[in-house]
Amino acid sequence: MSLVSGPGVAGNTSSLPNEIQLAISAHVSYIQSLDTRRDELEYWLTEHLRMNGLYWGLTSLHLLGRPDALPRHETIAFVLSCQKDSGGFGAASGHDAHLLSTVSAVQILVMVDAIDELDSKGKGSEGGKGGVELVGNYIAALQDRMTGTFRGDEFGEEDTRFIYAGFNALSLLHLLHLVDVPLAVLFIESCANFDGGYGVAPGAESHSGQIFTCLAALTIAGRIDMVNKDKLGRWLSERQVEAGGLNGRPEKLEDVCYSWWVAASLTMIGKLHWIDGDKLAKFILSCQDTENGGIADRAGDMVDVFHTVFGLAGLSLLGWEGLEPVDPVYCMPKKITERVLGTRV
Amino acid sequence: MGKYEGDPAWDDVVPIPQDDGEGALAQIAYADEYAEAMGYLRAIVAAKEHSSRVLDLTVEIISMNPAHYTVWLYRASTIFALDHPIQQEIEWVNEVALDNEKNYQIWHHRQLLIDHLYPSISSDPVALQKLANSEIAFLTLMFNSDSKNYHVWSYRQYLVRKLNLFNASEIKSIEALLKVDVRNNSAWSHRFFIVFSNPEYATPGSAATAYDPGIPDALLDCEIEFSKAAIFEAPQNQSPWNYLRGVLRKGGRPLATQECFASEFAKIESEEEVKSSHALDFLADLWNEEGETEKADKALKLLGDKYDPIRKNYWEWRRKALKAA
Repeated sequence: MSLVSGPGVAGNTSSLPNEIQLAISAHVSYIQSLDTRRDELEYWLTEHLRMNGLYWGLTSLHLLGRPDALPRHETIAFVLSCQKDSGGFGAASGHDAHLLSTVSAVQILVMVDAIDELDSKGKGSEGGKGGVELVGNYIAALQDRMTGTFRGDEFGEEDTRFIYAGFNALSLLHLLHLVDVPLAVLFIESCANFDGGYGVAPGAESHSGQIFTCLAALTIAGRIDMVNKDKLGRWLSERQVEAGGLNGRPEKLEDVCYSWWVAASLTMIGKLHWIDGDKLAKFILSCQDTENGGIADRAGDMVDVFHTVFGLAGLSLLGWEGLEPVDPVYCMPKKITERVLGTRV
Repeated sequence: MGKYEGDPAWDDVVPIPQDDGEGALAQIAYADEYAEAMGYLRAIVAAKEHSSRVLDLTVEIISMNPAHYTVWLYRASTIFALDHPIQQEIEWVNEVALDNEKNYQIWHHRQLLIDHLYPSISSDPVALQKLANSEIAFLTLMFNSDSKNYHVWSYRQYLVRKLNLFNASEIKSIEALLKVDVRNNSAWSHRFFIVFSNPEYATPGSAATAYDPGIPDALLDCEIEFSKAAIFEAPQNQSPWNYLRGVLRKGGRPLATQECFASEFAKIESEEEVKSSHALDFLADLWNEEGETEKADKALKLLGDKYDPIRKNYWEWRRKALKAA
């Protein structure tokens, strides 16, 4: 999946109707076209994000109601070709394994219902099983048993994002018991700030993206009860700016990706109605290229697959007609997480 | 012929080509160079070679694609294996960081360098001070172009902890940033961290959201005055309002101690005299704490109707919560 931006430019709507529509078919063709752009340098410079990119593209297609728009067999073959002997996945073939590409790989395999194939054909499989367990062991080994945090890889970069990534993939594989959940929860608790938000580490500035990862990890751990929901909801709802979009921190510009990080966080604490959903939907729609497809961070900028998926996911949270309902914790279609995890409250 | 292919220093290396492309790279000259360099890197990594030519090769690749994570890691391991001078590496990293503000691999790399250097100078106060000075000077340069860069701030907190920089000069440098932009939430957040995590008096493990009896009264007074001065400068700036609330909480002081001050910016008797929605919000909480729910309700209604209608549902919820209590 290419992470090349453009060619579309957001806000490219020649005739703007009173009621702006979501350009579903344009977005589907845009995503499908991405992998054909190998003649552009940016395709190669973003290689370290390719697995994440495939997850973003595939999730977009699922939310758009076109889950089969990418060939399933090739998708599985690509993902499995990126697996290392350790069980972890690299961003592309030949890349070292990393937690972030591993969680994307697991999410992709879950979406195309291929966990059985991972178990029988992945690294570490013997006699038709064992592949899933090896992935679980790889992730579990990244947890620091003293602090509860996860490293992104064996070289030790730590971040609250990685706790979420670890919990996300392990829970989808039904292997959360392999790690020390309460210890990680304590670490997240120590990242709570005086303003009600959460940062990347204890004492670090509150940031909507980090808040999302903390809340999603706590939800998976069944510990969302430890969040001061009123105080956090106040901070999160303050992220909405006059134009309707959301920003990541006070006094920063709005950006479509925060439609997801903020709105999903508000959803997880039951406060999505504290912001103006109509205004947010209008803002997201104004950032799409209705002719060539794709969504950008803001109107006037080039579209890319990252902002496309988080714009669509934000609209889905708002209940936009024609989109599959999204799971606010996993950023995957709800019907898929329900298939795997059962119905959660 | 590629740059490395024709270089005698690389004669012994057979590059390992990328295997998921189909020759598309050949169309762009620049991409050609990148592909060639990556081919040599893959071969070097496979052979676990750590040598000075690896340092040259990684400089070249990073100059073309600084976001490539593995390249940085391999460079760091080579530097440590060769005992390459850390100071020299930091100077090079400075240049790369200034040219690539959004990149975060650089900051992780820098952290690895400092972690590696630290044990060798940890008992030398002069060397530690020198390192702190040069690091802070460089971060100041970074903040000149983006004073809210999250990666740089994260690194700064790492540095403060590592070199124990909970001191007056750190506070001073934050004040300089707030002088330029009083709305810089990152600087406010860092100030809170410096003031309330100082191991000299802060209770170990005290949460940022909790009352800490260890904080000296004079310090609380000073922080309250600091946030108030900033609010006078820009009343509709949420950062110092949040900061003020945070300080009061740390000191276990009620909001009511600031009623006079907050009323300067919002009077519910005359709607025209509201200079700050944050002041109204503050007063609503304060009055609620003091049991004056009618006044609190009026402030919240004003917020939902007039001063912050985009969040009407939130203010209505607050009104309902008042009545339920």
